[in-house]
Amino acid sequence: MRLLANLALQNLGRRKARSLLLIAAVAIGSGVVFTGATLMRSIDDSMAVGFTRLGADMMVVPEGALTNITAALLTVEPTDLVLDADVLAKARIASVARAAPQKIARVEHSGIGSHHELVDLIGIDPALDFTIQPWLREKLGRELQAGDVILGAGRDAPLGSQLLIFGKPHVVYGKLGRTGVGTHERGVFMSFATLETLAASMPQRPAVLAPGKVTGFLIELAPGATSLQARFAILSAVKGAKVVTGDSSLSGIRQGLAALLKGILALMVLMFASMAVMVSVLFSAIVTERRAELGLLKAIGASGAQLIGVMVVEAVIATGVGGVLGVTLGVLVMRLYERSLVYYLDNIGVPFVWLDLPHTVAFAAAAILLAAAIGAVGALYPAWQASRRDAYDLVRGEG
Amino acid sequence: MFACRQVGKSYRTERGVVNAVAGIDLDVPAGRFAAIIGRSGSGKSTLMAMIGGLSRPSAGTIEVGGTDVWRLSETALAAFRNEKIGYVFQFASLLPTLRLIDNVALPAMLGRRQSTAATYTRASGLLDRMGLGGYLDAYPSEISAGEQRRAAIARALINDPALLLADEPTSDLDEQTEIEIMDELLAVNRELGTTLVLVTHNLALAEQAEQIVHIANGAIVA
Repeated sequence: MRLLANLALQNLGRRKARSLLLIAAVAIGSGVVFTGATLMRSIDDSMAVGFTRLGADMMVVPEGALTNITAALLTVEPTDLVLDADVLAKARIASVARAAPQKIARVEHSGIGSHHELVDLIGIDPALDFTIQPWLREKLGRELQAGDVILGAGRDAPLGSQLLIFGKPHVVYGKLGRTGVGTHERGVFMSFATLETLAASMPQRPAVLAPGKVTGFLIELAPGATSLQARFAILSAVKGAKVVTGDSSLSGIRQGLAALLKGILALMVLMFASMAVMVSVLFSAIVTERRAELGLLKAIGASGAQLIGVMVVEAVIATGVGGVLGVTLGVLVMRLYERSLVYYLDNIGVPFVWLDLPHTVAFAAAAILLAAAIGAVGALYPAWQASRRDAYDLVRGEG
Repeated sequence: MFACRQVGKSYRTERGVVNAVAGIDLDVPAGRFAAIIGRSGSGKSTLMAMIGGLSRPSAGTIEVGGTDVWRLSETALAAFRNEKIGYVFQFASLLPTLRLIDNVALPAMLGRRQSTAATYTRASGLLDRMGLGGYLDAYPSEISAGEQRRAAIARALINDPALLLADEPTSDLDEQTEIEIMDELLAVNRELGTTLVLVTHNLALAEQAEQIVHIANGAIVA
């Protein structure tokens, strides 16, 4: 009923300082929860990307190839140096469970993007690959075949559409999810066969596109094997190779972060619970203060449900507005976060993947709804108690 | 209009049970102006609250218009208060955050028996009748105590109740305003045929009533 809603709204305006403090408290609480939940998911995704290295434990590249720890977490960097494609298969190293070869050619004037844009064409063996295909966010309903390409999340083209590379038509087979690593975000992936066919159309054929050559291998260790064992085994068996592993402390950090995130989640639940108690205590005081008014409403014919409705609507408006402000505050905080901590993480080689927009919006809506629900739950009991009292006792300020 | 049979109200306190009202039998026919008089604490307001469905009696029955009030469910009792009873309290009982017209319209809006437009038209007419036609959009704090009391009478009449209960409606008003408020209440009783029960300790006001009930220590003494 509009008049009762209006009454609830006007009541909030009567005690401006108290209403503003309530809104501020809820805003801080819901802001912390929204920001915490968004960052938790982002950190979780980032850990999946950065710390698990898309399933690879180490990387084998030609000796002399430039690597950096950031790229080494995930990808083989484009280089003119090459390895033989069968070098690991011949070595039969027990500590290596899987080896996924990759060819990476950084090309210009490919027809993709602007004229001078450098594009990484990345060849994979679909049968051996375990680092790229798990990241397929969407794909056509069939297997990858010759002439197909997979686009990194930073490139936009509809599935099944045609993409001209060096004038040759290719079909967009799939798109990767966001990985946070530039090579993957902007890369164009295809099978070795497709890449080798394409090489014929290139004005200058990169060395890596020679048959039987690869840029490097992504390695998954055998169960129980250590990276040290694998490193020595590979270096002794493969001449002219370099083994790149990530910092082993990263897995420790990951485990520590996972525990921390669970702790943060528990704190957030406690924070919401304490907010509900706070709102309930506050509305108990408000009900006591307004006994005469509530009694009057009851005397003129307001039902118990209508009395409860007035109090609950008032609480929901206050906490809902607090929720909206909290989410806004959270967005601002995350902008600061992006400029400081994310920059720092990027610098130390840990890519940070922000939660995507639909999920962020869903989290924001959930935080606002939860804040409003806390208002409803918090006000419900004191309002219900008031609705059960004798109207006369309420009118006289008793009961 | 209403009949009380052996109505009693007792409270438990730290010093034991206090009988605010004990064994009252009272009949007031429809359309009558009755006054309940007595000293402060005699139980007259408590009796009126029980008749009006505001306070549950500890004993006895109360029938208003043939309805046993305290056998109604909570929801039915709320609807009964809304539809059958009009109250004018001894204090400024308007909601401070609503305009006068909203205050007057509120009981009808709670009852939802007529459209919003019809309700507001009637509320406007009642305020006009009470001499407050120029204050429809005013808030209670912007008008005098006497005007607030007249607005409360308008609100009590919005649902055209069969029974109007006025609990010391002029207790804090000056003599002239007291006369004006009483004139309004009497006019309602005579012109609309609404049963009026006035609780007061002012004998001069009570003398205008057709029936006077004198209460002392929770019992009718005359």
